[in-house]
Amino acid sequence: MIKTIIAFLSSLKLTIALLIIIAAASVLGTVIPQQYGAVESFRTLSPELRDLFDSLQLFDLYHSIWFIILMSLLSANLIACSLKRFPGSWKLFKKIPSLDTDKPFQNLPPERIVTVEGKPHGIIGKLEPLLLKRYKRVRKRDTERGAVFYGEKGAYSRFGVYITHASVLVVIAGAIVGSLLGFDAYVNLPDGESTNAVRLIRQNGIKQLGFTVRCDRFSISYYDNGMPKEYRSQLSFLKDNTVIFQGPLLVNHPITIDGIRFYQASYGSIPGDEVYLTIRKGDGETVSRTARAEDPFSLNDKDARVEVVRIEENFMSMGPAVLLEITSPGGSTSFWVFKYIEKIMDRFPGILEKVPKFNPGLFRPYLFGLDRIESRYYTGLQISRDPGVYTVAAGSFFVILGFFITFFSAHRRLWIRVDEQGENSRISISATSNKDPVGLRREVEHLMKHISSLRE
Amino acid sequence: MVLNTTILSWVTFIYFGSATLYLFRMVTGKEFWGPPASYIALFGLLAQSVGLVLRWIESYKMGIGHAPLSNLYESLIFFSWTIVLLYLIIEWRIKSRNLGAFVMPFAFIAMAYASFSPNVTSRIQPLIPALQSNWLITHVITCFFGYAAFAIACGLALMYLIKGLGRAEGSSAFFKLLPNRDILDELSYHSVVIGFIFLTLGIITGSVWAYSAWGSYWSWDPKETWSLITWLIYAAMLHSRLIRGWKGKRMAIMSIIGFASVLFTYFGVNLLPGLHSYF
Repeated sequence: MIKTIIAFLSSLKLTIALLIIIAAASVLGTVIPQQYGAVESFRTLSPELRDLFDSLQLFDLYHSIWFIILMSLLSANLIACSLKRFPGSWKLFKKIPSLDTDKPFQNLPPERIVTVEGKPHGIIGKLEPLLLKRYKRVRKRDTERGAVFYGEKGAYSRFGVYITHASVLVVIAGAIVGSLLGFDAYVNLPDGESTNAVRLIRQNGIKQLGFTVRCDRFSISYYDNGMPKEYRSQLSFLKDNTVIFQGPLLVNHPITIDGIRFYQASYGSIPGDEVYLTIRKGDGETVSRTARAEDPFSLNDKDARVEVVRIEENFMSMGPAVLLEITSPGGSTSFWVFKYIEKIMDRFPGILEKVPKFNPGLFRPYLFGLDRIESRYYTGLQISRDPGVYTVAAGSFFVILGFFITFFSAHRRLWIRVDEQGENSRISISATSNKDPVGLRREVEHLMKHISSLRE
Repeated sequence: MVLNTTILSWVTFIYFGSATLYLFRMVTGKEFWGPPASYIALFGLLAQSVGLVLRWIESYKMGIGHAPLSNLYESLIFFSWTIVLLYLIIEWRIKSRNLGAFVMPFAFIAMAYASFSPNVTSRIQPLIPALQSNWLITHVITCFFGYAAFAIACGLALMYLIKGLGRAEGSSAFFKLLPNRDILDELSYHSVVIGFIFLTLGIITGSVWAYSAWGSYWSWDPKETWSLITWLIYAAMLHSRLIRGWKGKRMAIMSIIGFASVLFTYFGVNLLPGLHSYF
């Protein structure tokens, strides 16, 4: 039973199947909108399909249980394969084959045999340093009529594949560490505001930072053609009310505080607390003035105080509006002042009579108008901590190193026999390699050329 | 039209000429057409390099200096440049022009798409904030060398399959000129290895960049995901070859599927929403 499980886990069929299934699942994840995008497609899908997708966790496929199981199986497969194959590779790496005089040279093609002038004794004396220079672990055994040599190079190439696979596991381990111990969060900060807590993206909670971040100013600059050139948030970081770091945050240039990284992710605008009003008294002139929320002003000739109580960017889908409260000795009145009051009156004839609170002339004899609401930028910050990132980086580096060893090195082993043949020596060369037969052939041909030119 | 785009659109015709000559050589079986095909390709490559450098200089004159690797037009130009460069290196190394008829058309198509598609703007645009990174050059170069190596592997796979068709007829010059299948298989494998290493480097450099731009080295953005899908396909292919010794037709078919995935990673992803949409 256990044997079958191990055989299953260490089979190449499983590897290929998993690689293809994971690829297919990933394709699915790029077709079905994920996470935030999913909200949009929720409305377009039929309820049955939506329930099916939801129960299969297809809207968050890459974090679904079955995707994690696939990745775990791939990791188990990697480990099982490596454990199964490693002892064999280790043996091939360690062991020097016996210097047999016959076996390696059986069925040798004629072009692998050369005859050179001179007795073996002298030839061997020249051949040995040549081999010592080019190969590692050179061994020699004298025979009755000459000698047999063994030499090899690139034995380390046996380990390239293990380095690559172990590194892939390190990358996966780093990703797991990151997802367990790290977090991703965001916060929108209007100019001048600060916070010490941010909203988590995946876990749906609040994360305390342990310090305070304040947006001093957000700004955008543009190229001449109108494309955005720079998004910049001037940030201050405070601990116990003292600034510990201050600096601009730009896209591609995150700021790290206490291992927590801040990114310029987005921006937007919200209504500010300043509004531009127009006021006309009776048939008099229209005057403009600015007003701030919670900062009452008095109407010049009347004992009345006007206060902006609420500012709405789009009140009841009728555009920008402010709620004014006017206090006078006669009591207090409050009413809404819309920016697009004329359009509203066109669309809803008689609305001012039906809803007196929408009448900008409710406080007689004054008529109020709303010119515009000052808007304020907020900066959208992404805040992340990922303690696994250096593990992933190290793993990636070794993946590449493993590739170079796997693909560009080969364990080449060489047997050379020198036999006496009258006044000459006959030299036979046999070679094997764990990969790259073309490279091996080239190397042997090169070596044969050198050997053919040997003289006693 | 600006000088650099004029040069680059002329390069389209040069590559067309070269591809035609390579095809001519294959069909007629006369080596006579070979050398001009190679020299024209080389001339095109030089002209294209000049065009790219001029474009680079031009962007600095406009005060928005950046390497010409920042939008679809520039990436297509660079894609075809890497294909021709890699192809000419291979031609020189293996001393054979047979691959030309199958690879040069890719370079021509990429150039033609860049120069004549109404959806591709050839204007030099400034870099939006997300692209203002030192990783832009490394990331784009590694990715496109990978794509080009896969394109060449795909060309070799096509040759392999076509060679298989011709065995019955035997006599036609076209089939005779195709290299023998073992060589095609071996070359195709080497191209895939090169492509795989560059694709891996491309994914890694992209992750490093994403880590400083988007706050996460991996966010399952469609382009990221498709590069992983491509990577998995070629990984499956290499494993079945290295361990099972799969060769020949099956490898050729997988190589073509792999390249289809490369093309989707490059173009198709723009149909899906994601962070890479500016490419």
